[in-house]
Amino acid sequence: MNIIGPDMLVFGVDDVALCEQFLTDYGLTPVGNGRFEALDGTCVELRQRNDPSLPAWDLPTANMLRKTVYGVKDASVLQQIKQEFEGEREVKILADGSLELVDDLGFALGFQVTVRKPLDLPAEVINAPGDARRPANVTGVPSDVATPIDARPRSLSHVVFFVPDIDKAEAFYTNRLGFKLTDKFVGMGPFLRPAGTFEHHTLFFIQTPPHLQGCEHFTFHMGGPTEVLSAGTALVNKGYETFWGPGRHRFGSNWFWYFNTPMGCHIEYDADMDQHDDSWEPRIAPGIMDNSQVFLFHWREQWAPGGAPR
Amino acid sequence: MERICHIDDVLPGTSIGFRYSPFGKDDIFLVNKSGKIYGYRNSCPHWPGATLPLRKDQYLDGASKYIVCHGHGALFEVDTGVCIHGPCVGSKLTALSVAVDKDGNIFVVNA
Repeated sequence: MNIIGPDMLVFGVDDVALCEQFLTDYGLTPVGNGRFEALDGTCVELRQRNDPSLPAWDLPTANMLRKTVYGVKDASVLQQIKQEFEGEREVKILADGSLELVDDLGFALGFQVTVRKPLDLPAEVINAPGDARRPANVTGVPSDVATPIDARPRSLSHVVFFVPDIDKAEAFYTNRLGFKLTDKFVGMGPFLRPAGTFEHHTLFFIQTPPHLQGCEHFTFHMGGPTEVLSAGTALVNKGYETFWGPGRHRFGSNWFWYFNTPMGCHIEYDADMDQHDDSWEPRIAPGIMDNSQVFLFHWREQWAPGGAPR
Repeated sequence: MERICHIDDVLPGTSIGFRYSPFGKDDIFLVNKSGKIYGYRNSCPHWPGATLPLRKDQYLDGASKYIVCHGHGALFEVDTGVCIHGPCVGSKLTALSVAVDKDGNIFVVNA
């Protein structure tokens, strides 16, 4: 099934205004109707917790993510998905032609022809000895202090869920929706990608007791490590609280910087994620600290040596 | 006993955090509930070491009724530190011994 990746996450929150401010501060663009978009059109949508248009969330957990909408290549994929599930569970066809159903863990899913626009933006361009990628006289960062680094979320990258049964979750997404296993942390969870992408993962599950079930975090891809560090620094300077990072993961290789949010989960900036095809042999490893990150840093206030050394 | 701040630094219905290292997260935070000061370690019992606030000093929900962990939405009673909703229901924040002298100076032990 040519599912490309998550197009949209729909949250039902208590303090809509606070969440709107947060997503704007994070760098998404408010486009109306509670929707906050990245550069390629993927987005987060905010509604009030009790909004009757939201899929139900009947579990007594603090989760506020009410629906994950996946983008697919074309309408024929929607037909495939409908045929896969109709007769065994309710498959709603919404007014916009998208599908809605509930996965085996109780999470509401949507499927639509993808809204992702191709981006004509280069990745971060790096010079190294013998391999200078930037032309002469093109600087890596702006020359003057008043010009900020333009670091805006480019594309919805991945979502991570706490679930009480990681094997059940992996089986649903691989056997029923054609996701591929990229890597696995033993006793912790699987990294999964849909068949329509080479990204290391768009979905990760973490094994937890049932009372934790829900979204752990979601993230948008940035253009490179400098954009992660720059956007993270801007969010810190707006007063927001780092949860973990900045650092670089081992599996996936992606740079990361996680923050607390008012949406019942963490949010991340990530960049430079590995790509894998069907010839990749999944790595199976313990979910220990050394496997989860290659290095980890603290943000700090700016400091520089000044004056003559004594 | 260590003097942390003055009572005027944390008005009723607000919270304030303090850290002992030059960077990283706050180690402890105080909440003023109707004039009484409560102190807790900034570490969510759901994931020890996980930091609670949304922003610096912002440990309470919008109504200033509960302490919120902005990692996964856990709610804690201000006066007991008990989690009443979310990932660690029944667990407690680590409470600090807090004393306020007659001049309004706030002291903390076991920080």
